[in-house]
Amino acid sequence: MIKVDHLYKSFGNNEVLSDISLEIKKGDVVAIIGPSGSGKSTLLRCINLLELPSKGKIYIDNDDITTFNQRNVIKIREKVGMVFQHFHLFPHKTVMDNLTYAPIKVKQTTKSEAQEKAIKLLNRVGLSDKVDSYPSRLSGGQKQRVAIARALAMDPEYLLFDEPTSALDPEMVKEVLDVMMSLAKQGMTMAVVTHEMGFANKVADKVIFMDHGQILEVASPNEFFNHPETDRAKEFLEKVL
Amino acid sequence: MGIFSGFSLIASSIPYIINGVWTTLEIALVSAIIGFVLGVILSLFKIGNIKILAWLSDFYTSIFRGTPLILQLTLVYFATPQLIGYDISAFLAAIITFGFNSGAYMSEIIRSGINAVDKGQFEAAGALGVPYWSMMKDIILPQAIKKILPAMMNEFITLTKESAIVSTIGVLDLMRRAQVVAAENSLYFPPLIVSFAVYYVLVMILTILGRLFERRMSRSD
Repeated sequence: MIKVDHLYKSFGNNEVLSDISLEIKKGDVVAIIGPSGSGKSTLLRCINLLELPSKGKIYIDNDDITTFNQRNVIKIREKVGMVFQHFHLFPHKTVMDNLTYAPIKVKQTTKSEAQEKAIKLLNRVGLSDKVDSYPSRLSGGQKQRVAIARALAMDPEYLLFDEPTSALDPEMVKEVLDVMMSLAKQGMTMAVVTHEMGFANKVADKVIFMDHGQILEVASPNEFFNHPETDRAKEFLEKVL
Repeated sequence: MGIFSGFSLIASSIPYIINGVWTTLEIALVSAIIGFVLGVILSLFKIGNIKILAWLSDFYTSIFRGTPLILQLTLVYFATPQLIGYDISAFLAAIITFGFNSGAYMSEIIRSGINAVDKGQFEAAGALGVPYWSMMKDIILPQAIKKILPAMMNEFITLTKESAIVSTIGVLDLMRRAQVVAAENSLYFPPLIVSFAVYYVLVMILTILGRLFERRMSRSD
């Protein structure tokens, strides 16, 4: 379980997260939505310590990760995978090497084991024919699917998605969402920052609505999309739906 | 005496001059290797978060960039015996000076390369739990070096040409050999133009090799 407890984050004098508390239970899919600049991505990046919180606590399986030193940070990153808006595949490595590098380096998996697993994962995201390609040869949607497979190669217990479809051409959004949907069905615990309301509505167990660094609503998709409580959420939904 | 008859007068010495290319190349190559290794280490210090190492690396760089190379060379060659009582050979003095000097320039080139790597690469490696030094070695530096290959090739060519000043401490490189033959025959144009041509051909070959290497490295684009 991930538990965020009264979290604050400031960049200089600019407070981007203010008193954030939330829980993500094992197997839950949580969609974090809200206007740009509302702090969604920063919140996500705090959960795997890509950003250091200014105040507050974050518990992952009862460990307070805000107290962790560099060595322990690696432990967190093994547990919590991340998929980025701009993929960030390693451009000088083939798809296969992108998937096997971290397991071999960080988890001391043997090369043959890592490769076997990589092929399984590439099958799962429908890209087994791209094993030996370099990322530059892939479309945006393919890159993002490889990036998801790369995160999965570490056997994470939680997966964070930071606007995974925002950098994609419209016709490639679906192939990525389909992969995410099948992950959700298989019980992966996911926190997804997204502008895809359809995905949030259909797949999420819980929707978190943020604005100006604060959580304004936490609700089931049905409640949130049909009966939003705050004026800000109503206003937002009117614009995006 | 015509210019061309001068060449026949020194004909038997021409191979001697040309063979100086091996000394020149040896100095350039060994110095480049020292410079590269030093450059990587210094650049990592410069971008790292240990302030004292960053400061020392900047200071090191400013020393080598802020003084004439010929003075550095002379100092190493003539002062080392007086300072530590070690009778340094001209060749060793040459590769130490050029290697250390090149390290200063290389560290700036490599640092600019590291800064040019997408920040997302650091985050992606970090998010996968890759330790800092592995990330640098396997993810960041290979991409940085690919970006700076032209600049590094340029540095190597500069090194090759600038190595001519080792002639001032008596290393028998291309330049020095031309001077020796010139002095022996009191004839300047032919031996100097021979070494001139050899330097030029050498740099052209290195330029072509550099381009081929760059092309090979850009396979993943």
